[in-house]
Amino acid sequence: MLEIRNLFVAYGKIVAVSKLSLTVNEGEIVTVVGSNGAGKTTTLRTVSGMLKPQSGEISFKGRSIVGLSPEAIVTRGISHSPEGRMVFGRLTITENLKLGAYNRKDAAGVKIDMERMFEMFPVLEQRKSQRAGTLSGGEQQMLAIARSLMSRPTLLLLDEPSLGLAPLLVEQIFDVVVELRNEGATILLVEQNANEALRISDRAYVLETGTVTVEGPSIELINNPQLRAAYLGLD
Amino acid sequence: MTMNYILQQLVNGLALGSIYALLAIGLTMVYGILRLINFAHGDLMMLGAYVSSIFISATVVPILFAVMIPTLLMAVMGLIVERTAYKPLRGAPEVAMLITSLGVSRLIQNSTVLALSPQPRAFSLPGDLTKTMNVGGIRFTQLDVLTFALVIVLMVLLTLYINRSKTGMAMRASSENLQAARLIGINVNWAIGAAFVLGSALAGTAGFLWASRYGIIDPFMGFLPGVKAFVAAVIGGIGSIRGAVVGGVLLGVAEIGFVGFLPPEFSGYRDAFVFTLLLIVLLVRPNGLFGASEVERA
Ligand SMILES: Nc1ncnc2c1ncn2[C@@H]1O[C@H](COP(=O)(O)OP(=O)(O)OP(=O)(O)O)[C@@H](O)[C@H]1O
Ligand SMILES: [Mg+2]
Repeated sequence: MLEIRNLFVAYGKIVAVSKLSLTVNEGEIVTVVGSNGAGKTTTLRTVSGMLKPQSGEISFKGRSIVGLSPEAIVTRGISHSPEGRMVFGRLTITENLKLGAYNRKDAAGVKIDMERMFEMFPVLEQRKSQRAGTLSGGEQQMLAIARSLMSRPTLLLLDEPSLGLAPLLVEQIFDVVVELRNEGATILLVEQNANEALRISDRAYVLETGTVTVEGPSIELINNPQLRAAYLGLD
Repeated sequence: MTMNYILQQLVNGLALGSIYALLAIGLTMVYGILRLINFAHGDLMMLGAYVSSIFISATVVPILFAVMIPTLLMAVMGLIVERTAYKPLRGAPEVAMLITSLGVSRLIQNSTVLALSPQPRAFSLPGDLTKTMNVGGIRFTQLDVLTFALVIVLMVLLTLYINRSKTGMAMRASSENLQAARLIGINVNWAIGAAFVLGSALAGTAGFLWASRYGIIDPFMGFLPGVKAFVAAVIGGIGSIRGAVVGGVLLGVAEIGFVGFLPPEFSGYRDAFVFTLLLIVLLVRPNGLFGASEVERA
């Protein structure tokens, strides 16, 4: 569904991603792990059109999306829930969700999806006319995910959804991700919480200084003792 | 000093403050999204005043045209300035836009000088509007009433638009986090364009009101009011429309108060007073009266 080939991305002279190739198939959860500064966020931001690659190819459902605006990419079915959540704190929860559906024309469908989000995240419904800035970190993360689902994406990019959350909330977020997959979503998940992320995903990539060093089924990465020590910092 | 005198100064201050408020709204909307101090904003007010003067001197057309035409034309002008001068600088450092706006300001002023003349010209309203009425010893003109009514109506409309419409929602989101707005697929150029169109329209209206109040227009008349309106926006809390309105009105009242209540030899310092006020407000409340705290912005 998503195919990244030989991607190079730089900030000025600083090369952040080089020679990166990555595939996400329909219905999969694919995890990307890697230490701070490895280029995970840069990769996602390039997929969603916020950054222009220096070279390389990104195709979605068989068509190139390089050079398209973020708006066009959302319309094609990719939605990106950014690192640090970035909910609109001065807007209400309902407004945040409506904006997630900004480019949709089917008002009735948007309404149905809004109800669905409230079913999935009851906290949001209870506080729907409050400013998003009054939500707790975990609730804001729920809102960020719900907001990106409002565009009805076929591919969801999640950048460190568990960042800065208490263990109980981390569990909840991962439960949500699994639930979404069970409903048929395809997810590219970036996580520092490698252990958890690998447990729920099908395949995984390890990123180091902007390039993929290891890839394979998540189960193999979990059980590979060398990887555990060297890349994942487990045990 | 009589009560009447105080009330009289208050009426004058409110009238001046309403005009600052109109200008400040456009400045605060644009700053909110682009972090741009748009120095050319006051010059659109000046252009609005010149456009308005055409209709004022032609006695056959109703006065309504003198308000509406500059308002509409400046809306278009604001969009043209945005698309030609500022849009190419998206992503450039903020200081590049700032300097560009100074350049645009100069360009508009000097083009007006070249096309017309550097000489001030009279802007005389039809007699009815400037006839003074006396209510309980306080004098005001129909123009004062018109000013308050116009400003209140425009503000209500604008607030409704910003709070209820989809574009208004997109503008607020863009003002809070431009990156996130782009990411979720908001056409931020549309939101920025809307901010310029609405703000510049209000500057056009302000052009009519300012010229009517002072009875004289010249190509450089817009710059200082523009800068003062920015001061008002900062006092109110930059990015906040409510703040721009309150800041504008407060500044107008304070400025007239300064002139009206201190001995005449201080009057020459009225501009210095405005900027001193800004410094004091920034020291006491760095985010202005209605400014978002850093926590809220995060
Ligand atoms: N806006 C920027 N300007 C310049 N360099 C940047 C910018 N953003 C990221 N970088 C650099 O690019 C590299 C990759 O950063 P990126 O944010 O993609 O890493 P990451 O894997 O998401 O890290 P983290 O786990 O900390 O979120 C880093 O060296 C970083 O310093
Ligand atoms: Mg990151």
